[in-house]
Amino acid sequence: MQKKDILDARCSMLDTRRSRKSRIGDVPFGSNCVRLSGYEWIFVGIVALALFCFVPTLWERLEKSEPAPDYRLPYELGNDYWLYSRYCRWATSKYETLVIGDSVIWGHFVSKYDTLPDYLNRIAGRDQFANLGVDGIHPVALAGLLKYYGHDISNKKVVLHFNPLWMSSRKHDLQTEKEFRFNHPRLVPQFIPNIPCYKDPYSRRISALVERYVPFLSWTSHLKITYFESMDLPRWTMEHPYENPANAVTFELPAFANNSRNEHISWTEKGTSKADFQWVELETSLQWNFFQRSVKLLKERGNSVFVLVGPFNEHMLKGESIEIYRKMKSKIEDWLQQNNIAYYMPATLPSELYVDASHPMSEGYAMLAKQLFENESFKTSILAPSLKPRSVGDYSSGDFASSDAVTHAPYRRAKMDFSR
Amino acid sequence: MLFHTWPFALFFIIVYPAYLALKNTKLRVPWLLAASYFFYACFNPLYLILISYSTLLDYTVVMKMAKSARRKMWLSISIVNNLVLLGFFKYGGFVTDNLNLLLSSLGITYFLPAPGIILPVGISFYIFQSMSYTIDYYRGNIEREMSFIRYATFVSLFPRLVAGPIERAKNLLPQLHKPPRVSIQDVADGLSLFVVGFFKKVALADYMALYVDRVYDAPEQFQAPALVLATFLFSWQIYFDFSGYTDMARGVARMMGLSLMLNFNNPYLATGLGDFWSRWHISLSSWFKDYVYIPLGGNRKGKFNTYRNMFLTMVISGLWHGAAWTFVIWGAVHALGRFCTRELERTSFYKERVPKVVKQLLVFVFVSFAWIFFRAETISDAWVIVTRIFGSGLANPYCPLLALALIFAVWLYQFAYESRLKWVLELRYVRVGIVLLVIIYLTVFAPASEKAFIYLQF
Repeated sequence: MQKKDILDARCSMLDTRRSRKSRIGDVPFGSNCVRLSGYEWIFVGIVALALFCFVPTLWERLEKSEPAPDYRLPYELGNDYWLYSRYCRWATSKYETLVIGDSVIWGHFVSKYDTLPDYLNRIAGRDQFANLGVDGIHPVALAGLLKYYGHDISNKKVVLHFNPLWMSSRKHDLQTEKEFRFNHPRLVPQFIPNIPCYKDPYSRRISALVERYVPFLSWTSHLKITYFESMDLPRWTMEHPYENPANAVTFELPAFANNSRNEHISWTEKGTSKADFQWVELETSLQWNFFQRSVKLLKERGNSVFVLVGPFNEHMLKGESIEIYRKMKSKIEDWLQQNNIAYYMPATLPSELYVDASHPMSEGYAMLAKQLFENESFKTSILAPSLKPRSVGDYSSGDFASSDAVTHAPYRRAKMDFSR
Repeated sequence: MLFHTWPFALFFIIVYPAYLALKNTKLRVPWLLAASYFFYACFNPLYLILISYSTLLDYTVVMKMAKSARRKMWLSISIVNNLVLLGFFKYGGFVTDNLNLLLSSLGITYFLPAPGIILPVGISFYIFQSMSYTIDYYRGNIEREMSFIRYATFVSLFPRLVAGPIERAKNLLPQLHKPPRVSIQDVADGLSLFVVGFFKKVALADYMALYVDRVYDAPEQFQAPALVLATFLFSWQIYFDFSGYTDMARGVARMMGLSLMLNFNNPYLATGLGDFWSRWHISLSSWFKDYVYIPLGGNRKGKFNTYRNMFLTMVISGLWHGAAWTFVIWGAVHALGRFCTRELERTSFYKERVPKVVKQLLVFVFVSFAWIFFRAETISDAWVIVTRIFGSGLANPYCPLLALALIFAVWLYQFAYESRLKWVLELRYVRVGIVLLVIIYLTVFAPASEKAFIYLQF
């Protein structure tokens, strides 16, 4: 028999075998051979499931990262919640106290060497405070971040910052009916409670919900954010048409500039005018409500929570907004006291130590750190020896490749000049 | 609600188990109808008024036809009603625009107001399907459907409602009569079809769209290489987009034990334009053949009439796709191409001497050329593209190599599928390996696509 005939016979035999399997035989199956049997689908399902379960874990071991003691999640990776989760795991294993909050903690206008956690470490003389701030995050999103990606923050000392700026208008409080594109929409409640200004299509909302519970999906987002400039592969190739995408995946977190991304000039120098903020009611504020949820969640996880409120730039307020702000602050204080939560509400800093309404300049951070160390509540809840230290064995060795330098190296900049 | 989005997944997760539970009861068809109407209402609840009206009218017309001697009158009522609906909702704007143009060219300053109507999704598909039922009944090809609920389900069946395939009553209605037997192989087949369709849409069509949209949105800013590549990529984009939709529709139906017709059969491997149309949007091509081309006389009355009928059919087919002159030109270009290849195919030189791959290449290039008129926003845009393809410089096109590599891989696969190497593709390891690769690509690299299907606008 000729080779051609053998091939023909084989093809026709396969065709017959396949068509026999099909019950709806009168209509062609399709125009390709991608047709699996039930057993083959089960096999594919098992292999895919195994990949989905193990790839993110394997990736943590392959992708090396050596965070320095004053590490903060790079601004460019602020939406990489998988990385945040990994960073949390690493930070909880290395640091005694975690400082959590928005851009005020992250240090939007200062370099990573001039943030509040960094100044706290300088005064402490050791690496006690980890910067777990995320630039641009607001209390509603922070609650989601802690709930879905901050599981490892348990039985720790936590300094949780509350920035009253998020209540300075209905827009900041996410209460306007008009659509408002705010930061970190994937972390906010997608359906209940309803956020009036959040109008993303259902498809995107369901996708955000699913991603929270499937680490594989947040890992795929990590790939896109970290290696493909926050784009999916097709869009990335549009920007880099002749580059090999495989070369972009370097298995190393990209290095970003450590310096401040924004101008470090005081608001008075910039000539920013005073403003009459339209504060929302504390009782109806969405942001405050979610901040309360974060406090509750952290406490439920066995953390010792210390709340830092502000310091807001009261010099910038005018008209009735100063009084309203002070009343609001007093209500916040009442709630903290009623719930037996350690807190500190610093008096407003000198006017020239603010960049804007809520961000201190680096000298402001230094002053704030000093005030904190003098605060009794801070001393008893944060500086006192930890009651339930976590053992090293609690953590995966793959979490951010172990950096002994963090715990054993002598502190580099202990002799700080706080007078500048 | 699009097949490749989460809301559809949620919808199907609710509808499917209930369907399986009800499949041997009298509630099966009403459940399917309710699910289909809900599916359609998700686009816009007002659309339900239109589809209900069209369904009710055709059902009543056939009922009257069955009891009346004036069958032709009832058929005319159905056809006129359907065409008026289609004309009003789809061509209202086009007609007023052209009338206004005519009035202004005659120096008349009066302008007809634009109707400002939203084109209901899928109207061309379900109206054609409904029309085929009345015509087939008139011709005596099918029995009358007694149950209104079943007939309404036939018109609105959700997997094929918004973009086909345009099913014939004689294929689909009998399937709705008897309880389906959903075997494990049906579910596996449905999954296979769905996954391939999903890949075509999300990983391929939407990828090609990025480059095509960039170039076609401002054709005057690009030179020949980019315009040629964008045109070729559009050829594949529209194929992946529409055949991907059909695969998903067929897959969903298959999982429910229903069989929808094959709508695409590797059209870019066609060796002639006749062959192309027997592989591309098969349900529409056969509809036009049965209800337009043959009633016009088909190829029975000499060469001139054959070509006239062919031309009219193609132009009407072009107009079916959209209310714009670009679609009319697209249809006309295809008609002219069809004349040429029909004559060419009769010569022994073309039949015997020209290699198959060259014929395939020629057809692909011609079809791609015609797509320029289909894709361009206006005739002047199309003209700019055609002239710049032949008369502009050779600037770097900056077309992603990965997109080209993916297309080449698909073409190679299709080529092997229609060659003696098909048995390699049939091997278990190859089939399973391809599905795994597809799933990995979709989950890791593909975008979270929300881009609508191109044919949804028709």
